Amino acid sequence: MSATLRNTWTVTLHELTDSIRSRRAIVLLILYALNAVVATLLFVKVLHEIENQLEKAAGVAQAENAGGTTSALWKNRGFREMISHLVGSRETAEKLLDIPPLALFFGWLSFFYTPLLVMLMSASRISEEMWTGSVRFMMFRTSRLSWCVGKYAGQALQLLVALLLSGLAAWITGWCRMAFFDPGPNAAAIAVFSLKAWVYGIAFLGLAMGVSQTIASPNVATAVGFIAMVVCAVLSMFADWITRQPWREILNAVDLVVPGGHKMDLWLPDAAHVGPATVFLLALGAAYMLAGYAGFSRRNL
Amino acid sequence: MTAALELKGVVKTYGRRRALDGLDLAVPRGSIFGLVGSNGAGKTTALAVSVGLLRRDAGSVNLLGDGPFDPLRHAGRVTLLPQDSRLPLHARVEDLLWFYGRLQGLAEGALRESIDDVLEWVHLRDRRRSPVRTLSHGMMRRLTIAQAFLGRPELVLLDEPMSGLDPREALRIRAILHHHRGGQTVVISSHDLRELEALCDTAAFIENGRLVRQDSMDNLTRRGQRITYSLEPDGRSIPLDELKLALPDATWETARDGAELTARFESDRLRAPEVNARVCEILLRHRIGILEIRRGSNLEGEYLAATAHAVQDAGPPPTAPVDR
Repeated sequence: MSATLRNTWTVTLHELTDSIRSRRAIVLLILYALNAVVATLLFVKVLHEIENQLEKAAGVAQAENAGGTTSALWKNRGFREMISHLVGSRETAEKLLDIPPLALFFGWLSFFYTPLLVMLMSASRISEEMWTGSVRFMMFRTSRLSWCVGKYAGQALQLLVALLLSGLAAWITGWCRMAFFDPGPNAAAIAVFSLKAWVYGIAFLGLAMGVSQTIASPNVATAVGFIAMVVCAVLSMFADWITRQPWREILNAVDLVVPGGHKMDLWLPDAAHVGPATVFLLALGAAYMLAGYAGFSRRNL
Repeated sequence: MTAALELKGVVKTYGRRRALDGLDLAVPRGSIFGLVGSNGAGKTTALAVSVGLLRRDAGSVNLLGDGPFDPLRHAGRVTLLPQDSRLPLHARVEDLLWFYGRLQGLAEGALRESIDDVLEWVHLRDRRRSPVRTLSHGMMRRLTIAQAFLGRPELVLLDEPMSGLDPREALRIRAILHHHRGGQTVVISSHDLRELEALCDTAAFIENGRLVRQDSMDNLTRRGQRITYSLEPDGRSIPLDELKLALPDATWETARDGAELTARFESDRLRAPEVNARVCEILLRHRIGILEIRRGSNLEGEYLAATAHAVQDAGPPPTAPVDR
């Protein structure tokens, strides 16, 4: 193993252990898991309400727990509208009818909160080391690139664990609170969405780490990270809405280089969509990170 | 033999201010080298430029004869104790040193041994399992010194190593540095000129980002050329004629109404121990009490004299802004 790779791995492991020692990882895991539990409870409550309305309309006895009328729910127009809204596209929603509703909800939830939590937890990781000067103890021991890539990889592994844990939390909550809950398909679908959310989150992690390398104040870096995330989301929304030429063409091109432009492809179950979207998002994460590194590599520490 | 660290015409600017203005420096291998200068003279900048923490605008740096700093060539061979930098607070002392050592490319066995050694030197062996945040300020300072000696690097750059240390620990660190004399090359930037005078073989005076003077400590303080005797003021006259006769190549000065005698001589003609033996013998034979013997002048006086001109010429020293 070359010195560069060995040092990258050393920094990755240190990033993980440091996160555990500093309780940062614990906070991250609690945030993700708590978020999943609370949101899943709300979802189950809403699902139960819809089921009750449906059963009342059909004149059958109401179930005590949610999920009892799931198959019928899928034929309910209101419910389909809700899923279409969650996914963002009716056409995509039609393709997702085989996926358990709880997994779909978890998918939406994790796509929504992963970028937020990534910015909250990761945008200050390199900034704070510049701020305190602790970076100076490392920069004569390893290359700047190894160190930055190691930090990025360490954060990516933490994110994966956090998402899998939040998926587990949602699955357990669903199992406890839903009357008709198929554990196998739900577990598989939630795990797949955890991985997809991770891929989506990696692009934002690259953005966060890129920002972190260019700003030495942790608080400013976090704020700029959030602004960058909002700008990406706005650009992606405009790309969907604006149809007037030549803006349409320009925004379509912009849509390729913001994470939101590939989100819809991740929703779909087929590899033909998920594969390219995964490659694009991983590449986007690396590109954002390396854009920040271009400044960091020349920076006075 | 090439220098352990060589800077030629190095320029570093912060905005419009020149922190280093064509600095030349050559640190001999195996020496303990003192870097002396007033606040903002460019000492910290010079050390940071040497290990690539700061980008130089012009000039060249040659580390250990292998060109400018490159982590692939120099990692583990050159270390730095940076000024005003905080160690990561959550790591344990031992884990942090382990992390740094692994980055330097040290094998596990050698690293374990090196960690034991450096923690012993800085008196932190009993705190090896403690998180850094639980250490006192002085202990943290000692840990930063320990990290600089991890893995026995060839060149160690220490920026104000003794600041924040209690006298006992400072003495201990000085003894450790003495112990390393001749093996590793150690560059010490400090405002404590007595400390540098006691420790260093060679020193450089820097002002306004330029080298004012670099020489061996013996030459800087004229240790090999001058001996001053403080004498008991009991009215006995100094036997100058006898001294001149015994040591005709030396010149003599008296001061403070005969309470101080200075012998000046060329180091290539007379050796200081030889002069001292003859002078003491004559003074004691004449029953003149010797209260103190000092070799040379002190570094502080020489530094102030050498840099007075540079300091008067310059405006306010450039401040090193933190790049945020």
